[in-house]
Amino acid sequence: MATTINFGIDLGTSNSLIAKFDKGNVEVFKNPNGFKETLPSVVGFRNDRILIGDQARTYLLRDPKSVASRFKRKMGTSETFKIKAINASKSPVELSAYVLKELKTFIHSGEQVDGAVITIPASFDTVQSNATKEAGTMAGFKTVVLLQEPIAASLAYANKEKNVDLKNSQWLVYDLGGGTFDVALVKIVEGELTVLDHEGDNYLGGTDFDALIVEKIVVPELERRGTFADLLGEMKSESGQYNKLWSTLLLHAESAKVELSSKTSAEIDLGTVSDLVDDSGKSIEAIINVTRSEFESLIRDSVESTIDRMKQILTRNSLQPADLKFILMVGGSTFVPYIRKRVEEVMGIAVNTSIDPTNAICIGAAFFAGTKEKGASQAAKEKTKSHLKIRASYNKTSQESEESFTARFDGDITGLQYRITNEDGSFDSGTKKVAARILEDLPLREGAFNLFTLKVVDAQGNPVPIDFDVIQIAQGRYSVAGQMLPEDISLIKDDLVARDTRLDELFAKNSILPSKTKRTVEVAKTVVKGSHDSIRIMVVEGPSNRHSSTNKPIGMLTISGSQLVKDLIKGTDVDLIFEMSESRDLTISSYLTGTGQDFSQVFTLAQREVSSQLLASEILLLETKIQSEIDDAQTDGHRETAESLEKVLTGVQELIGSAADLAEDDVTDKKFQLEDQKRKLAQQMFELTSTKRLKQVKLAYNEKRSEIAKLVKESGNDRERHVVSEIIAREQTFINSTSPEKIQQVTDELGRLEWGILMRTPDFLNAMFAHLVERRASMNDQIQASQLIESGKRAMAREDVEELRLINGRLWDLMPAQEQASDEMRAYTGIV
Amino acid sequence: MHPNSISEVPTWILKVLNNVCDIERKIQIHGDPGNAKRNVDRIKETFEAEKIFYEDPMGELFTETRTDIEASITGSGTENLHVVEVIKPIVRIGDKNFSRVIQKGIVVVESKSEGEA
Repeated sequence: MATTINFGIDLGTSNSLIAKFDKGNVEVFKNPNGFKETLPSVVGFRNDRILIGDQARTYLLRDPKSVASRFKRKMGTSETFKIKAINASKSPVELSAYVLKELKTFIHSGEQVDGAVITIPASFDTVQSNATKEAGTMAGFKTVVLLQEPIAASLAYANKEKNVDLKNSQWLVYDLGGGTFDVALVKIVEGELTVLDHEGDNYLGGTDFDALIVEKIVVPELERRGTFADLLGEMKSESGQYNKLWSTLLLHAESAKVELSSKTSAEIDLGTVSDLVDDSGKSIEAIINVTRSEFESLIRDSVESTIDRMKQILTRNSLQPADLKFILMVGGSTFVPYIRKRVEEVMGIAVNTSIDPTNAICIGAAFFAGTKEKGASQAAKEKTKSHLKIRASYNKTSQESEESFTARFDGDITGLQYRITNEDGSFDSGTKKVAARILEDLPLREGAFNLFTLKVVDAQGNPVPIDFDVIQIAQGRYSVAGQMLPEDISLIKDDLVARDTRLDELFAKNSILPSKTKRTVEVAKTVVKGSHDSIRIMVVEGPSNRHSSTNKPIGMLTISGSQLVKDLIKGTDVDLIFEMSESRDLTISSYLTGTGQDFSQVFTLAQREVSSQLLASEILLLETKIQSEIDDAQTDGHRETAESLEKVLTGVQELIGSAADLAEDDVTDKKFQLEDQKRKLAQQMFELTSTKRLKQVKLAYNEKRSEIAKLVKESGNDRERHVVSEIIAREQTFINSTSPEKIQQVTDELGRLEWGILMRTPDFLNAMFAHLVERRASMNDQIQASQLIESGKRAMAREDVEELRLINGRLWDLMPAQEQASDEMRAYTGIV
Repeated sequence: MHPNSISEVPTWILKVLNNVCDIERKIQIHGDPGNAKRNVDRIKETFEAEKIFYEDPMGELFTETRTDIEASITGSGTENLHVVEVIKPIVRIGDKNFSRVIQKGIVVVESKSEGEA
């Protein structure tokens, strides 16, 4: 166990932070909800809950009688905060203790924190300092060491810039935060950092700047654009017509202010405000531009007042600016370039912005904590082991949007508090007193597993071990109302690389109906307007990791050239929507981006769609495939397989005859029977050859894998490297699968990635260009080919990769169609 | 999913999604003569495939136990609060079964009487 305190806390007026020193480094912890480092120092009481931070701040302005903030400024006074919701008063010490306890929950390692360095303003007297210490003790820290904020900031700086010699020097720490301003004169006296003097303004900070932007820039501009009787008044009044706009504008102003730190102008875009109209109902132009110089003139007076306070310190201490080494800037508002510039200008010395102004004080506190020994009493740590028994009862599955959770506590529950949070970061019950029986309504996320954590802490905020922690509720899982799908439903797409088709799963087996999904596919070939050519959107039912021919067709939407209003160009997008009703009726809707046309069709299971013509061509395709499989099996000496395949082939050949007799408009169910037989034969063929194919695809995968590993290392970018390592990491999940298609899919994915990288690689493009040049004689337009080849050579000489790639593409287009086709599969569906 | 990996989602992704959400809201408010909604949907689907998606909490109920949104209250009431303006959407990482909030929504909420809500 560490002997040093290690934890540093910036217990701020507006925001608080916690950090830990570990082996020379400091980590600032983040709020597990929302991942911000800062916790607003606000405590709210609503009903029987205690809320701390963002949640409490929400109610700060509207329910001030039950929410306490800025209590730091009241530390050490007898003043208390009357809290209406609990009909009691809370002292600033108690309120600070709540914040400190909440900060403990930021520590993701889950370790116990028994000591901390807590920072205090330079202006704190002994009584105020003792009060801070008391808050620390109340929050369960056994050792509390106080540190003045300007010193903490200076320590953060000194630890960051280790080479800077601060001996015999003095400097100012200028701390302008969200709502307060402090300035302090710091000097090293006899080897120790000491605050010699300080000044401050408790009501000046960044939030005032936001309000100024709204009042002085946005409101006058809106008044120019529309007719308003009293816009500002109506905005600021709770019951005012434009009260909602006030909150909205403040949030937008804050973003604009942040943006103005890096840009010279920022836009406040009110286009997302739903009812931006003036008194007469006329809508108002939504974009308001704020320039940095406008913003600077707004805050000028405030900034001058901070400079005056710095001057006061210097005068009081008979110092000239030149006596100072620098002015150290701390606090979020010092990001504003004007403040940095103005301070530097007036004071005539450099401002120091080398530390992160938002967390510097906390970091400094942690560095200090890393040097501070824990108190002796620490060793004698009395640990009251809890013998709490919890019996919980709740529904583990639910159809509701909310479920009640109840639990009974047996054992000593005095002073204990509990808290339930959703692990997804969307719910926090706040801390509540443990009673013999507790009840909490937990909101559930639709269609998801909802995991909640129950934690119990003692009066000091230390976790109490319990034998129960996760509450798991599945919402909408086991619907009795919804039908479940017995098989996967997939879309057939062309796979140009494998010269085959592949399945894209639309609805997984056991999905609950009704269900809806969308896909955007690309047209794989140009379909000329008025032609007989077509693309087919085919949906099949069956295992999605098998080949499409083993699946049962359930719907096909054909879009042919005769239906088009203009040519459908290869590469254009088609939006597809698939809807499956509870009674398993499938609706396919498509929108052709290229032509702006909509097509849609409903397929019911009763009227299965099988096209005689398509069936016949599928059977022929199957025959060819089986024939080649037989050849392979014979070559490899697999006699048994070859014999079994022969039988399948005979079956297929019989089918060819029957299918040929079918009329395209056949109305009997003959074609369904044939389709069924075809599917079964295909299934047999795939089963018979699966061992062979498994071996092949594994081999192909391994080859592709080593190829791409090398390539991605040499020429890949971060994303590609990430994708490859991700695939390799999950290799075990597919390589041992019995489904060749599954492995093939991954190999194809690697293939696409490889192609993408190659197309950027100069060597590959050069080789491709050389290859195309060789085939120049067969190109369609010799003049154009010559010109392109000349340009290609120049591009090569210039090493212009991008240009060369374009030229390669255009040369390829000049190749005769049959030569191109030899490299492409016959488009089966026409979509990829 | 490791909780620490969540906070490592690059901020550019959040910036893009916040803007996509803005576009979506503008389309809702001002109409969509150019059919831009389709492009918005495709962008969203592309991100969804990478397991990142956003949710627009417009109109939803806000209670003090919700930690997926940061709200500013407008008007005088503090009960039965509903989201009336969305500055930033809620961004989540994960899939339908389990996802986590990686960006809290920034919203304005207002008390509504039963009839209005």
